[in-house]
Amino acid sequence: MGVRQTPHPHGNHKVRAEGAADVAPYSGHTTFAHRAKPKLPLQAHMTAQTASVSQQTSVSRWRRYRPDQQWEAYLFLLPSFAGFLIFVAIPVIASLALSFFDWNLLSPPEFVGVKNYVQLLTSDRVFRKVLFNTFYFTVTIVPLQLAFGLLLAVALNRAVRGIEIYRLIYFMPVVTTIVAAALVFQWFFNRDFGILAAAIWELGAKTGLPIRPPDWLNDPDWAKPAVVVLTLWKNTGFTMVIYLAALQGVPRELYDAAKVDGASGWQSFRYVTFPMVSPTTFFLMVIQMIGAFQLFSEAFVMTRGGPAQATLTIVFYIYQMAFEFSRMGKGAAVAWVLFIFIFLFTFIQTRLQRRWVHYEAGGES
Amino acid sequence: MTTRTAVDGRAAFDARNLLIHAALIFGSVVMLLPFGWMLATSLKAPPQIFTYPPTLIPNPVVWQNYVDTVRAMPFGRFYLNSLFVAVSVTTLQILTASLSAFAFARLRYRGREALFLVYLATLMIPFQVTMIPNFILIRYLRWYDTFYALIVPTAFSAFAVFLLRQYFRGIPVELDEAARMDGASSLRIWARVIMPLSGPVLAALTIFVFLGSWNDFLWPLVVTNSNATRTIPVGLASFQGQFNTDWHLLMAGSVIALLPVLLVYILAQKRFVEGITLSGMGGR
Amino acid sequence: MQIRQWQVLSILVLAALLLSACAPVAPSASDADSGAAEMPADEGPVTITWAMWGSPAEVATHQSVADAFMEERPEIQVEIAAEPWGDYFTKIRTLWASGDASVVPDVLFLSPIQSYASEGVLENLDPWIDKSGYNLDDYWPSLMEFATHEGSVYGFPRDIGLEVLYYNIDIFDEVGVPYPDESWTWNDLLAAAEQLTVVEDSGRVSRYALGMEGGKFMLWVMQNGGAPLDDMRNPSRCALAEPKVAEAMQFFKDMMDNNYAMPPANLNQAGGDAAVFQSGQVAMIIQNASRVSAFNAAGMNYDVAVVPIPDGGQRAAGAGGASWVMSALSDNKEEAWTFLQWLQSTDGGQRIYTASGEILPALQSTARSDAFLNSGQPPVNRQAFIIEGENAKIGRTGYFAEWSELNGSFISPGRDQIFTGEVSVEDGLAAICEQVDAFLAENGFPK
Repeated sequence: MGVRQTPHPHGNHKVRAEGAADVAPYSGHTTFAHRAKPKLPLQAHMTAQTASVSQQTSVSRWRRYRPDQQWEAYLFLLPSFAGFLIFVAIPVIASLALSFFDWNLLSPPEFVGVKNYVQLLTSDRVFRKVLFNTFYFTVTIVPLQLAFGLLLAVALNRAVRGIEIYRLIYFMPVVTTIVAAALVFQWFFNRDFGILAAAIWELGAKTGLPIRPPDWLNDPDWAKPAVVVLTLWKNTGFTMVIYLAALQGVPRELYDAAKVDGASGWQSFRYVTFPMVSPTTFFLMVIQMIGAFQLFSEAFVMTRGGPAQATLTIVFYIYQMAFEFSRMGKGAAVAWVLFIFIFLFTFIQTRLQRRWVHYEAGGES
Repeated sequence: MTTRTAVDGRAAFDARNLLIHAALIFGSVVMLLPFGWMLATSLKAPPQIFTYPPTLIPNPVVWQNYVDTVRAMPFGRFYLNSLFVAVSVTTLQILTASLSAFAFARLRYRGREALFLVYLATLMIPFQVTMIPNFILIRYLRWYDTFYALIVPTAFSAFAVFLLRQYFRGIPVELDEAARMDGASSLRIWARVIMPLSGPVLAALTIFVFLGSWNDFLWPLVVTNSNATRTIPVGLASFQGQFNTDWHLLMAGSVIALLPVLLVYILAQKRFVEGITLSGMGGR
Repeated sequence: MQIRQWQVLSILVLAALLLSACAPVAPSASDADSGAAEMPADEGPVTITWAMWGSPAEVATHQSVADAFMEERPEIQVEIAAEPWGDYFTKIRTLWASGDASVVPDVLFLSPIQSYASEGVLENLDPWIDKSGYNLDDYWPSLMEFATHEGSVYGFPRDIGLEVLYYNIDIFDEVGVPYPDESWTWNDLLAAAEQLTVVEDSGRVSRYALGMEGGKFMLWVMQNGGAPLDDMRNPSRCALAEPKVAEAMQFFKDMMDNNYAMPPANLNQAGGDAAVFQSGQVAMIIQNASRVSAFNAAGMNYDVAVVPIPDGGQRAAGAGGASWVMSALSDNKEEAWTFLQWLQSTDGGQRIYTASGEILPALQSTARSDAFLNSGQPPVNRQAFIIEGENAKIGRTGYFAEWSELNGSFISPGRDQIFTGEVSVEDGLAAICEQVDAFLAENGFPK
C-alpha cells in the first residue's frame, strides 16, 4: 500500500540512527537526524531553536569555532588531491599541450602552434557537423533523461507490492552491456526484419493502409532520434537511482505538513519534492550535460556515426582523429574546444542554480 | 503522484495502484526486452540468432554456449581480476572522494570554490585524449601490465566528489555543530556524523563506481598484456572479430559478467531505499 | 554502509587478495623480455613477442602456428600477445607512443602498412630478403604492393582479402535460376536478382537477392574502370566525378532502389552479411574467404563464383591483406626474421592458416595446392578464388597515411548520402570530389 496514513515519530530516521549506532556516538543516540522536525526530542546542544536558526548564523558561528580549518581541509583533500593531480590533472594538461602539436603517435610530436585550432574553426566541415549533432543530442537527452528519471524515482519511491522487483528491472538497462543493447535496438529498428517494423508492416497489411515503418538507421533524419531512444533507455536507470537516494533525504514531516495544509499530490511534488531534491537535480544536470556532450558509445556501437555522419558526435570525432586518423594533436584540439563549451555551460548553470537550488547548509554557490 | 499525499479511500487507492502497476509492467517489458534478447541469444545456436520473424525463445536451448564461453579463455582468472579491481577501485574511490567532498561541503577555507571548479573541469575532458599521457605515466612508473595500473589511476574521481558534496550539503549543519561542541574533530564528524547519514548516496555511488570499473574496457585493454591482469570486458571483446562475431558466446559471457553487478545493486538497493521498505509497508 | 554488505564486500576483497597472492601483482611480461634479450643466444632460447588480433578460435590457430614453429626451432620462443580486433590498432599505437621498446612486440599483424612505414617504426625488410634469398614471386600479382612503401618491402601479407560471390544453392534451385558462373555480367546479375527478390504485398522485402557491405562499392567502380583517386600512392586529385564511376554507383543504387540489394546500413543492423546469408534473408553476398568456415560449420548448401562484371569491364578484386611486420625497435631482429620467413612459407605458417579454412593464402603455390583447392569442404568452386586472385588489382585503398581520414571523413559519408538518396549520384560524387580535393590541397598533395 502506497501511502503512510499517520505521522511516524520513528520513521525512516530511526532506521538511519540504528544503522549508524554501531559506529556513531553522535547520531547513534539521537533520533533527530533531520531539520524541520520540530516536535522531536533533540539531543545534546541541539534544540528546536538551533534547528531553525538561519544558515548564516550557524555558519558564522561555526567559523569562529574552528579557525584552523584551512590546514584541516588540505589534509582531507590530500588523498584525493594527490592522486587527482597525478592521474587526472597532469594528463589533462598534457592533452592541452598536445593540441599545439601534430602527433601521429608513432614519430615524435611536431610543434605547429595554433594550426589545429585554426583548421577546426575555419576549414573543418566535419567539425561543424559533429558540433550540430552533439548539440542536438544534448538538448534532447538531458531534459528527457532528468524528467523520466525523476518520474520513475518518485513512482518507485513508494511502498507498492513488488516495488523492489520494479526497481531492479528499471535498473537492468544500466547494467546490460552497450553492445547487447545496441544490437537489440538495431534489430528493433531494422526496416525489414525488426520487431517494431514487423508490427507496422503487419498493421499495414491488415488494414490496407499505406503504412510503412521508417527506415530508422538508414535515414539521416531518423538515425538521431534512434540514438536518443537508445541513450534514454540505457541511462534513465542511472538518473533514477540517484534521485531515489535523494528522495530518501527528504524528511517525511514536510509531506505530512503539506498534507495538513491540504496540498494536492502535484503541489506537494512542486513545493516539497522538487525543491528538496534540487541539489541532486543540479548535480544530474551538470553530469548529464557533460555526459551528453561526450556521447560516444551509443553512436559508436549502434550506428558507427552514420549514416552520412548524422550521428557522429564530438567525442566520436576525437576518437577517430586520435586513433583512426592518427592525428592526436587535432583530436586534443577538438577536446579542448569541447571543454570550453562544456565549461561555459556548466559555469552558466552554477550561476543560475542560486535561483532554484535549495541547499540546506554551508555555502553560497 | 507522490507517495506521501493524502488519499481518501481505499477504493480509489486500489484503482490508482492498478493503473500504476499497469504502467510499471509495460515499462518493465520495454526495459527487459534487450536483456531478454541477450539471454535468448546466449542460448541459441548461431543460425537461429538473426532469423525472421524474431524469436525470443531459443529452440533448441544450447547450454553448451556457456561452457564454450568459459573455455574459450581463462574466464575464471579474468573474472577474479575484474572483481579484485572493481572492489579495490570502489573502496578507494569512496574513501578518497568522501574525504574531499567533506572538505568541499563542510570546511571553510580559501580557494574552496576555485579548487572545486578545477575538479569539475577535469570531467569535461574526454578520456580519449588523456589516455595516451596516462599510459606514458604508467610506463614511467613501471606499472604496465600490473594491477596498480588498473586500480590507482581510476581511484580518483571528480564525479564521486561532486555527487557526495551535493549530498553532504543537504545534511543539517547543526549536527556538525553539536558534535563540535562535544569536542569532536573534523575527522570524527566525517566518520560519525556525515558518513552514517549518507547511506543512500553511498549505496548509489557504490553501484556506479563498481559498474564503471567492472565494465571499463579501453583502459584495461591498453595497460594489460597478459592473462594474469586482463579483465572480463577485454576478454569478451575478443568475441567480436574482424569478420565474424560469435554472438552466442559474446552474449553468454555478458550474462555471466552481469551477475556481480546485479548482486551489488540488489545489496545496495536495500540501503538506498531502506526507509521505504522498513516503514512504508507498515502504512498498509 | 550496512554491516552485512561490508561482510560481503570484505569476502570479495579477501578472495581477490588471495588470488593476487597466488600470482604476483606485477608479472611484467616486459621484464621477462628484456631479461631474455640480455641473454646470449647460446645460453637458452630467445623469446620474441608476436602480436595480432583475433577471436579465441583464431588465437588458437595462431597458437598452433607458434607451437609448430617452436617445435622446428626450439631455440626461439614465440610468445603471443593477442588483442581483440576492435581496438587492436589503438593499443598498438599507444604502445609505440610510449616510446618504450620493451613493450612493443617484435612481430605484429598490421594494416595499412604505409602509415606505419612512413613513420619509421617498421623494419625495412629489403636487406633481410636480399640476405636470405626469400622468394617474393610466389605472392599474388600486385599483392606485395600493399606492403611496400617507397619501393621497399615492410611486411608480408598473410592472405589476399579478395571478394567472390557466395550464393545459396537452395534458394537458386527453389526459384529456378541458373547458378552464376564466369560468363555473368551485371545484366545477368540483375536478371537473376529480379527473380530472387521477394517483396510482400505490404511492401516489406522478405528476401533480397544481394547483400553487400557499403565499403565494397569500390569494387563496382573499379570493375567499370574507375578509381577513387588519380594516383593511389601520391594523389593530386579526386577521380570519382567521372562518368564511369557514376555509372557503377548508379548500378548499385538501382539495385537497392529496386529492392534487389539490401541497403548496407540495414545489412549491418540485421547482423552483417554472414547472418543474413545464413538465415536466407539474402540469396547472394559478396565477401572474402573469411566466411567459409562459419558457413561450413552451419552446414549451409552454398557455393562461390567470380563476381559478375559489366560488359567490357574488368575483374577488379582488391589485392590487399593485413601483413606481418617487424618492429624497428625489436631487440631480436635475427630471430624475428627467421620467424617471419617461416610464417610466410608454404610448409610453415601458410599451410596451417590455409588448413584452418578462413583465408585465401597470400602465396600462390599454397592456394593452388590440394590443401586449399581440394580440401573436401565447401565451397566446391574454389577456382573462383584463383581467377579473382590472378586478376587482383591495387587501388581499393590509398597507399598513404592520410587515406584513412580521407576515406572515413569524406568518401564514405558521401557514399552514404548517395545510397540513402539524399543527393543524386552526380551531385553526390561532385560533392565528394570537392571535399577530397580540398583535403588533398590542405595536406600538401601531391608530395
